Amino acid sequence: MPFLEFKNVGYSYISGEDDYIRALDSVSFSVERGEFVALVGCNGSGKSTLARLCNGLIAPDDGRVTVDGDDTSDKSKLHGIRKKIGVVFQNPDNQMVTTVVEDDVAFGPENLGLPPAEIRERVDLALKSVGMSEYAKSGPFRLSGGQKQRVAIAGVLAIKPELMILDEATGMLDPSGRREVMDVVKKLNREENMAVVMITHFMEEAAVADRIIILDKGRVAADGGRELFEDTALFDRVGLELPVYVRVAQKLKEKGLDIGCPLDITSFVENTASAFGGKGRGV
Amino acid sequence: MRDVTIGQYYPSDSIVHRADPRFKIVILILYLVTVFFCESFLSFGFMTFFAVLTVILSRVPINKVLKSLKFILIILAFTTFLMMIFYKDPGNKPLAEWGIFHIYLNGIYASVKLGWRLLLFVIMPTVLTLTSTPTELCDALESLLKPLKLLHIPVHELALIMSIALRLIPTLIEETDKIINAQKARGAAFESKNPFRKIKAMIPVLIPLFVSSFRRADDLADAMDSRCYRGAKGRTRMKKLHFHVGDVIALLFWCAVTVCVLFLKYNWLGWGFISAWSL
Amino acid sequence: MIKVDRLSYVYSPKTPFTKQALFDIDLKIDTGDFFGIIGNTGAGKSTLVSHFNALTRVQKNSGTVLVDDMDLSAKKIDLKKLRAKVGMVFQYPEHQLFDDTVFKDVMFGPKNLGLPQDEQKERARQAIRLVGLDFDAIAERSPFELSGGQKRRVALAGVLAMRPEILVLDEPTAGLDPAGKRDIMQLILRAKETCPTVVMISHNMDEIAAYCNRIAVLDRGRVAGVFSPRELFGSEKLLAECGVELPLVTEMAAGLNDAGIDIDRSIISEDELVSAILKAGGYA
Repeated sequence: MPFLEFKNVGYSYISGEDDYIRALDSVSFSVERGEFVALVGCNGSGKSTLARLCNGLIAPDDGRVTVDGDDTSDKSKLHGIRKKIGVVFQNPDNQMVTTVVEDDVAFGPENLGLPPAEIRERVDLALKSVGMSEYAKSGPFRLSGGQKQRVAIAGVLAIKPELMILDEATGMLDPSGRREVMDVVKKLNREENMAVVMITHFMEEAAVADRIIILDKGRVAADGGRELFEDTALFDRVGLELPVYVRVAQKLKEKGLDIGCPLDITSFVENTASAFGGKGRGV
Repeated sequence: MRDVTIGQYYPSDSIVHRADPRFKIVILILYLVTVFFCESFLSFGFMTFFAVLTVILSRVPINKVLKSLKFILIILAFTTFLMMIFYKDPGNKPLAEWGIFHIYLNGIYASVKLGWRLLLFVIMPTVLTLTSTPTELCDALESLLKPLKLLHIPVHELALIMSIALRLIPTLIEETDKIINAQKARGAAFESKNPFRKIKAMIPVLIPLFVSSFRRADDLADAMDSRCYRGAKGRTRMKKLHFHVGDVIALLFWCAVTVCVLFLKYNWLGWGFISAWSL
Repeated sequence: MIKVDRLSYVYSPKTPFTKQALFDIDLKIDTGDFFGIIGNTGAGKSTLVSHFNALTRVQKNSGTVLVDDMDLSAKKIDLKKLRAKVGMVFQYPEHQLFDDTVFKDVMFGPKNLGLPQDEQKERARQAIRLVGLDFDAIAERSPFELSGGQKRRVALAGVLAMRPEILVLDEPTAGLDPAGKRDIMQLILRAKETCPTVVMISHNMDEIAAYCNRIAVLDRGRVAGVFSPRELFGSEKLLAECGVELPLVTEMAAGLNDAGIDIDRSIISEDELVSAILKAGGYA
């Protein structure tokens, strides 16, 4: 049984007087424990609706969303579902419940009714995983956007979920803040085996994932591994940009230089160097 | 604008910080009541001594305390000044006069006492918010108000609302600032003297502010739901409130201070030095 | 033209809590410039540009700011004239929309300038079209019903309807997806045809590299230098000191250069990178 499963999910919301907008239409996919999935799509493709369906903030109109076999439409199961799936949202300023970092991180485990000593332990551990231990006692106003999002991640970690959803969590950050958050997320997935669903429109971030799901106008347009980045026509069709490394590689290919499909700067440099076969290498 | 003091906690590890917030609140109430009973300069001095002692013990830099009192101090100085120049004491000769303004000796006494009393009033609540986190204060209030639960008053929810408000007020103030600037950049004038037009001029600020507050509230509700919140049911606390011997001693100590102030006011035993210092 | 001369700015002066945000800033932005301002969070970028339309006033003996012939350090400034001249678009400008229709919201600026009604309407109509929206379809709709990208365009139209000569933008593409970002930048280029001077604060170095002709780097309240894009992104050391990231293509070029491939480190566009690689590898 898959950990998180969408089966023919549809969802509409009301816009204006009696206009319905079909945000999602027969969406099916599943995510296993430990996976790192990037969910990409343009604005208005239904990405954020999908995030809200995952932990039952909204229930699907058609189809079923299940987490570890439990249906999110079943209200009695919601608490259990939310223990297993944590969500980090976009706006760093709208997620903190209180004015002290460690108290905020404690909010989740407190809701679980854990004994104080265990909450303390979880909070300290969570802050350590995101590298924010030294800010435990400070308030949100002294933190940068990237730091606030790391605190939000710690708040989710302290609940010890098995899957973390990042709903455009880097969308409002500057480049250094984005890097901070991405480094933490990568580490959580690689070292602590946390499953991650990263909703984003930064393709360079999506390229970090093992699997990519592309959403277009409320439907799954593609679902596959990193080889999806080789399908230029697909990206054109859904109006997404390829990562810059791939774009450059493709332009080189047109001119007869094949460096494959590099998805980060290291492989871009390595592939280019080896395609040159030592040619032009001064060292 | 970010430095609005509501909910501005100053982290430190002093005995005032470590004290049980419930006791701090009870002591604060006792203290405020006691200030009401202060009449003579002797009792003011007496209270000030202990208030200053608390500030010192809290290890909050004096700058920080003053900063949080900045606006209140200005208002306070102004009030004191007005009281001084408008004081009427028909039985006595004024020390000085310019036109309608007269300065009497009793006027100086009365106005200084007024200012001093107000200062005593504001300083300790500030110390409380500087030395206790909003979470502590809300937990303390929730704990102190527990008896009201019997009357079906939702004490937990009220405490949570307070905590969130403290968290969001500085954000909203900052937001208001930004919107005002954005509308000014579009040529809006907020300087009109006509109150009706002034209100109308605020609409382009108030509507975006409402919209953003609702958006924030929605976001926050989603974030809280996602983090397993379901009201007070089954909820525990990381920092359980514990009181220690020290808290009880502090409370007893402040009770003693109150008794002393009452003594200074009513002089039940008719001690001579008290009447000698009755000014 | 904006000329900043030895401008300093201090928050809460003459109190124990003062904090200096700007130190002796010298800067000249010429008519026709697409002027970039970059720097870390807290470098003073927003404080600096808020002087340009007197939302922040020049403090006493703290230098001068000249906008064309208007001296903003003077005691009295014709604010109406200044704000008509300098249009300011803040971060997430869609958060300032308030009126019940798009048309009325865009008219807010022209109305505040005291223009006759016909003129207000005409300007709003033109501005809405300028930002690439279908006037007939959108004018009478509520701005709150629109999509994120549309809202941002309406907010931009609200500033453009004042027909500024200088447009100041603070992170105009923040939070948009790649297509949205490109659209907004195209629209700014179109606006630049009638509003000759554009000043843009941005953290997006790819945009800075692609659109600006001159760029000032701010570092903790001081100007670390004013450069052309190529000079700027060639000075990796300076950028690292000021905590500014390289555009991705520049980073890629630098990576190849580090690997011993003969490629210039100051490359700032994809096409340039492609031809440099082809050249280095002997493919072109």
